[in-house]
Amino acid sequence: MEERSLQLRSPGGLPGRPSDQTNLADILERVLDKGIVIAGDIQINLLDIELLTIKLRLLIASVDRAREMGINWWETDSSLQSLGSGDDVEPSQLEQQNRELRERLERLERQLGVGNGDSGESSKRGTRASGG
Amino acid sequence: MADELDSWARERAPDLLARAEDEAVAVLRDALVDAALGQRRHDRPPRRSPETSAPGAAPTRAQPAGHGLWAYCVLQAGEPLPSDLLGIDGESPLELVEADRLAALVSRVPLAEFGAEPLRENLNDLGWLERVARGHEAVLERLLGESTIVPLRLCTIFESDQGVRDMLEREHDSLVRALDALRGREEWGVKLLADGDRLAEAARARSSEVAALEDELGTRTGGGAYMLGRRLERHVREAADVLAAEVADEVRTELESCAIDSVVLPPQNPELSGHEGRMLLNCAYLVDAERVQELRDRVAELEQRHSELGVHIESTGPWPPYNFVLGGP
Repeated sequence: MEERSLQLRSPGGLPGRPSDQTNLADILERVLDKGIVIAGDIQINLLDIELLTIKLRLLIASVDRAREMGINWWETDSSLQSLGSGDDVEPSQLEQQNRELRERLERLERQLGVGNGDSGESSKRGTRASGG
Repeated sequence: MADELDSWARERAPDLLARAEDEAVAVLRDALVDAALGQRRHDRPPRRSPETSAPGAAPTRAQPAGHGLWAYCVLQAGEPLPSDLLGIDGESPLELVEADRLAALVSRVPLAEFGAEPLRENLNDLGWLERVARGHEAVLERLLGESTIVPLRLCTIFESDQGVRDMLEREHDSLVRALDALRGREEWGVKLLADGDRLAEAARARSSEVAALEDELGTRTGGGAYMLGRRLERHVREAADVLAAEVADEVRTELESCAIDSVVLPPQNPELSGHEGRMLLNCAYLVDAERVQELRDRVAELEQRHSELGVHIESTGPWPPYNFVLGGP
């Protein structure tokens, strides 16, 4: 992998370099997020592009930063439906996955005797140990 | 026994919840990536014709038949332009629009696809976005070896040559500053990848706390052994994180010494980048052209130094200097 990218990107190899072999994440993190920002004549709604950049940042990197920022558009954003394009994951499936994970967490907690089987606030503190 | 469990549970509950939450978020993210990548596969071959790429979009202001000017980068006026170069649509020739001793590299794009309204829709289509991003990148890369360029962000679009000239005049000072700061320099990307298992193994070997827990574990049985085992796992994980941060820091600072400037980027999502192992560091460096070999030698040396961690340092470049367009402080 390194050899390939080094060869392809080394100065001597540039002219004939097939650009579709460069890692898409490398390109997107640069062309969307970096480069000088100059107002063109065609103004796309800045809010839209900001949202897009945030979404792509999630795809490119990690969701952790978005969570720290309090961003949770995946729960409500309708454009996620177009992202799923019908045949993949719909928000309802995401909700379902979320629900399944919650249930799994509750089972896990019950097994470990942490909390009271309710994934609400009370389980944030282990109250009783009932098994082991 | 019950006491032990009780205190263990109390100690572990917040961490456990946090991990479950992380897991849930990771699942959501994976689902999103799957959806986006699935759609990308689905969309091939890329939609080219304006009729299909803007379904139902009825641009009110932009004329569907008209053209805009997509701007790629700014360079000094009078620089040579490779003659065989085509724009992001793969058809239109590249042109230079000059003003005030600066030039913007542009090509014509149909407003039916790149007008404000259709653009907004197309940007949310990862297949379309990939094609345009790669096209933009390919043009910049062809110029890299020949001219100093200031890359523009994707989707900087003008209605006319005059619009481009106005921009060059308006932004003249900052563009000149950026060109001066980039002349004779290259952007290189560096990613530090490590094998998670070998990282944990190395962390385990050097942690005295882990050794003590392992000794204690030998004397326990049943539930006590289980609990202790979990504690041990957590210690190993934490020690591995500390080790990872140390190595990342060492690599980052040593490479900085060969560079004019550097930027730390967020680690990439493996599903989009295709990398294996843990990405401990993702950086971009601005390097004097004559020191690039030094940077690459240093990369090889660092990789060798940490080979026991299964470390792989991937360097890519030269990139259009996207990360360093501000022209310095």
